[in-house]
Amino acid sequence: MPAVLKAPLVVEFPFTRSLGPVQSAFLTGLRERVVLGVRTRDGRTLVPPVEYDPVTAEEIGDRGGLVEVAPTGTVTTWAWNPEPRRGQPLRTPFAWVLVRLDGADTALLHALDAPGPEAVHTGMRVRVRWAEERTGAITDLACFEPYDGDPAEPAGHTGEFADPVTGIVAPARLDYVYSPGRAQSAYIHALSGRRTVGERCPSCHKVYVPPRGACPTCGIATSEQVEVGPRGTVTTYCIVNIKAAHTANLDIEVPYVYAHIALDGAGLALHGRIGGIPYDQVRMGLRVEPVWTEGGRYPDHYRPTGEPDAEYDTYKELL
Amino acid sequence: MTREIAVVAFAQTDHRRTTDELSEVEMLLPVLHEVLDRTGLRTSDIGFTCSGSSDYLAGRAFSFTMALDGVGAWPPISESHVEMDGAWALYEAWTKLLTGDADTALVYAYGKSSPGSVRDVLTRQLDPYYVAPLWPDSVALAALQAQALIDAGETDEPALAAIGARSRTDAAANTHAQLSGPVPHGDYVVRPLRTGDCPPIGDGAAAVILAAGDRARELCARPAWIRGIDHRIEAHGLGVRDLTDSPSTRLAAEKAGAFRRAVDTAELHAPFTAQEVVLRKALRLGDDVCVNPSGGALAANPVMAAGLLRIGEAAARIHRGASDRALAHATSGPCLQQNLVAVLEGDPR
Repeated sequence: MPAVLKAPLVVEFPFTRSLGPVQSAFLTGLRERVVLGVRTRDGRTLVPPVEYDPVTAEEIGDRGGLVEVAPTGTVTTWAWNPEPRRGQPLRTPFAWVLVRLDGADTALLHALDAPGPEAVHTGMRVRVRWAEERTGAITDLACFEPYDGDPAEPAGHTGEFADPVTGIVAPARLDYVYSPGRAQSAYIHALSGRRTVGERCPSCHKVYVPPRGACPTCGIATSEQVEVGPRGTVTTYCIVNIKAAHTANLDIEVPYVYAHIALDGAGLALHGRIGGIPYDQVRMGLRVEPVWTEGGRYPDHYRPTGEPDAEYDTYKELL
Repeated sequence: MTREIAVVAFAQTDHRRTTDELSEVEMLLPVLHEVLDRTGLRTSDIGFTCSGSSDYLAGRAFSFTMALDGVGAWPPISESHVEMDGAWALYEAWTKLLTGDADTALVYAYGKSSPGSVRDVLTRQLDPYYVAPLWPDSVALAALQAQALIDAGETDEPALAAIGARSRTDAAANTHAQLSGPVPHGDYVVRPLRTGDCPPIGDGAAAVILAAGDRARELCARPAWIRGIDHRIEAHGLGVRDLTDSPSTRLAAEKAGAFRRAVDTAELHAPFTAQEVVLRKALRLGDDVCVNPSGGALAANPVMAAGLLRIGEAAARIHRGASDRALAHATSGPCLQQNLVAVLEGDPR
């Protein structure tokens, strides 16, 4: 069996999220160095504040429910993080803490900058350290720091701001090492030798190209390797008139033809671009062959072989 | 209308740190075949198929549709998927059988944590406004819960070490386990949790077959009847909750009828040692209950399958006569946020 293939894969999105009225006030408050909570009907003050009562689901939104709390508070539980990970609030070892701010009845999760675990305990007093640059995000609160003074007095802010933030952009990135598995690894290995190798289902005998390791009709493993092509038949196609945004396709002129191609011996069609022929002359049944570019790891496109067109009956099951 | 519904077969992979040589469907396929073989059923005999998985684990978009290749979904089958642990897929299948629309169901779940960093991946399920931007990893959140328990005097580090040791000792009898035998308590990962308090990271899959009434009796010598099953969730804000308790587990257990009569076995989905302390309290499990004879999630924790594994393990003990009334529990979210409890019974012997 050939070596297992692996490649890095990064999944990265900037999530743009709109805010409800309470979230907007809270995050705008952080930008202005004000910590806001929200008061529930039964008199509890929730920090961080939420749009709906977590017990009753009652809307506790923006109708006078906002209340300022102190930037000082008490640790309710903690955990020492000796090796900060990417994206976490501090780059040096720190404590994760739940902090009940003075005036609040619930606790807020954040980081506590402390010299070591021996300097942290439940019940210890802390205060907010503000980030120098604040945009209206939970990270405007840089972290907490130990504090041995009296509770700070909130100024009684109403939660009304001139220029409230209405949304956040939260970047997210996850890193993977992708491995495609046995069947697809074998397929890719064969492609590196400019051969297209599918796998046959032992039950229905269909040859899958590319193979994914199982026959989706029969639900059993495919394993017998079958070389197909290199020639094939256009079974159906479309004409692309919009230039692709992907950088790899920038040099492809529109209009061009993208087609389903049934390689000889394959039980289903794969897809590829058709070149070497004017786009308006491509037709069902056209016989094509792959065109490889220097160093290419898969066919760049397919071009006509010059053979007579295939009879419809020979490919009608492969549309 | 009430129907008796039972787990009639269970299969699982060997759980391993990596399965680079296998795609998800290649990992899953043998388990699907094994569970079908146990009943003599073929895909075409199955009334409903439901799966649980998450694309985020391996970073593979729509992986559950690829996994369906292993089922043999043609002609088109009645099928559903939850982006949750397979225990919740089983819940959906159970309701489907209750309606009478189907007499049998195939439920499966798989997770490949090895391609990514599962500690970071799981941060993406958190509140995206106030919590996820801080990237608090799964061990950190579990450690906050463990410290709260220690502060409350409900456990201490030696007691947590003992939970880990007992789990891995019991796992020595489980050939599928990833981590078994003597495992050191180790260094702190996020204090107070040490490596031994944390689950192994790895890949694996599980599958069960449900059947109703006489169909269940035909397919299994001693069906594991689901006497009750329920799931409940708590507020997403960690600072709103009492982390030393699990009211959602207790309520789910009540609704599932767990407290009507003592169970002899409990398979608890507690990926971190301290969570077993919380669950034992919430479920009122005495020392006479055999807890996690499989080794539990501390011995193998394929994310998205580990909860279904608990139901499967509990059912398998009933199948082979090692239990008469067992509780199975599955969890989801940080610090036991959401919990499912099932009560399984075998017919009197």
